[in-house]
Amino acid sequence: MPPFTILVEQLSKTYQVPEREGGFGAAVRSFFKRKYKDVNAVQKVDFKIEQGEVVGFLGPNGAGKTTTLKMLSGLLHPTGGKATVLGFTPWELKSDYLRSMTLVMGQRNRLSWDIPAADSFLLNQAIYRIPDDQYKETYKELDELLELEPLMKKPVRNLSLGERMKCEIAVGLLHRPKVLFLDEPTIGLDITGQTRIREFLREYNKRTGATILLTSHYMADVTALCERIIIIHQGQLKYDGGITDLSHKIAPFKLIGILLSDANSHNLSGYGTEVQNEEDTEKRYIQVKAEDVTKVTSRLLADLPIHDISITDPPIEDVIEQAFNQ
Amino acid sequence: MILIFQRLWQVNWAEQWQYRANLLMYLLYWLVSPIIYLAVWTSIANSKGNVNGFTANDFITYYMTLLIVDQVTSNIIIHSFGYKIQDGTLSGELIRPIHPMLTNALVNNVAFKGLTIMGLTPIWIILFFLFRPDFSHVTLIGILLAIPAMVMGFFVGFLLSAAITALAFWTTRIYSIHEFYFALILLFSGQFVPLTLMPKVIQDIAQYLPFQLLIYYPIQLVLGKLSTQQIVQGYVMGFIWLLVSFFVFNWVWRKGVKRFSAVGA
Repeated sequence: MPPFTILVEQLSKTYQVPEREGGFGAAVRSFFKRKYKDVNAVQKVDFKIEQGEVVGFLGPNGAGKTTTLKMLSGLLHPTGGKATVLGFTPWELKSDYLRSMTLVMGQRNRLSWDIPAADSFLLNQAIYRIPDDQYKETYKELDELLELEPLMKKPVRNLSLGERMKCEIAVGLLHRPKVLFLDEPTIGLDITGQTRIREFLREYNKRTGATILLTSHYMADVTALCERIIIIHQGQLKYDGGITDLSHKIAPFKLIGILLSDANSHNLSGYGTEVQNEEDTEKRYIQVKAEDVTKVTSRLLADLPIHDISITDPPIEDVIEQAFNQ
Repeated sequence: MILIFQRLWQVNWAEQWQYRANLLMYLLYWLVSPIIYLAVWTSIANSKGNVNGFTANDFITYYMTLLIVDQVTSNIIIHSFGYKIQDGTLSGELIRPIHPMLTNALVNNVAFKGLTIMGLTPIWIILFFLFRPDFSHVTLIGILLAIPAMVMGFFVGFLLSAAITALAFWTTRIYSIHEFYFALILLFSGQFVPLTLMPKVIQDIAQYLPFQLLIYYPIQLVLGKLSTQQIVQGYVMGFIWLLVSFFVFNWVWRKGVKRFSAVGA
């Protein structure tokens, strides 16, 4: 066995993206001479992951997270650098490698849309050459943790988003992979769903000693599961280390959202920095230091005619943006 | 490996049943042209007595056999697989330790065939009573010789179509390329008209091309119209084309997958 399960050295990926201006003239010109722009999705990234580690892979949209996961699972050829996982070069797509890892990405992967999940499970048992007794045992474990049984007989298209994600993760783990690449495993799930998947992954890691690399938009996923995180931003590695060290590095902020009963006439600058929240324009948001939350909240409640109030973590993108983009 | 194919069969068979209405539409669409050729040629032969020695019954037996042979040897890989390359859903299949095209897509095609042949059977029987072909000269040996020839023809056609489908790794215009390929089939396979009625030049070219292996050669085997030498020559051609198409497909596929992973899956 190599000393590290995942070894990444100077890994780079540059996409060539055709580009042209809008309009008829540009369309004709691009027919004869196409312009390409180089997009450096991942630039000389290095990291090493030991067996059994659960590592959170963070970064804003377009940071290169998915590109890196695709390279490590073998779907993409890098333009530079090298990577080995379990001693294999992923993009050679060796069967022995494919049988010892899994990539869970999105909702439609291994399950056939039109037939019950049970059939796809049996197909994967055959594809990954899982002996019957091992299959039964693994299935029992997965069923215990994810409560699969009631979902198995329905056609996959009739399952809800969360139910499908559960099946997708379970089917990806039937062959007991030693390495798991999970791209947004909790996306689109409600809080209970998220918690359940997190608990499950923690338990799986404990039971099997599998190495897990996961990306997520939810800070909670990462704090619940990973002791170590890797942050990439604009294709470059920005941080690699313990999660507790990171919180020292990033000033811990909270967002207080308030809905005022009498329009938006009040000046909030005395309470904290007012920020825009595109997902919720009805409320006004103030960013405050985590330790000041209680103080500011009680002041707000005392001073203003507040209809509704919420306290949330700022989106992970914003946190990273603030920490590394200055 | 057998278990893999068995489970693939279960999944694909169940999947095809989900699309049975769609499948029936396909079958009806597909039936139109052979039935038109059948009707047109038969009425010409009837009015003139024969066409270059082909009697009405020759045409009827030819096209009635064609209905079955074409259904066995044709494939729908371009429709069932092309989009996976274009929209990237292939990713999920690429990281499974089995060949996406030569296992899943192959079984999918066979399952599709299984169902269309089930749908074709009653239609064929109706046509049989309508046109009353005289199959008295068909022998068991002819049929036994035709079965491996059809399997061979299917694989040659499948691999060639698969190679064209794999061009989707480079271009989104695979359907027009496939249309061109289909025109060659129409001309050289004996679908439009039995090859013996074609100009000598086309017949000469056709016997070295793979397309007659899909239709003309198996039909002639069933109808017992080939000399021993022609039978041997057909099998040899089939075997050569089987190897050629396999290597062509494999080459295109490997290059394609590499490209897929270079530009971003």
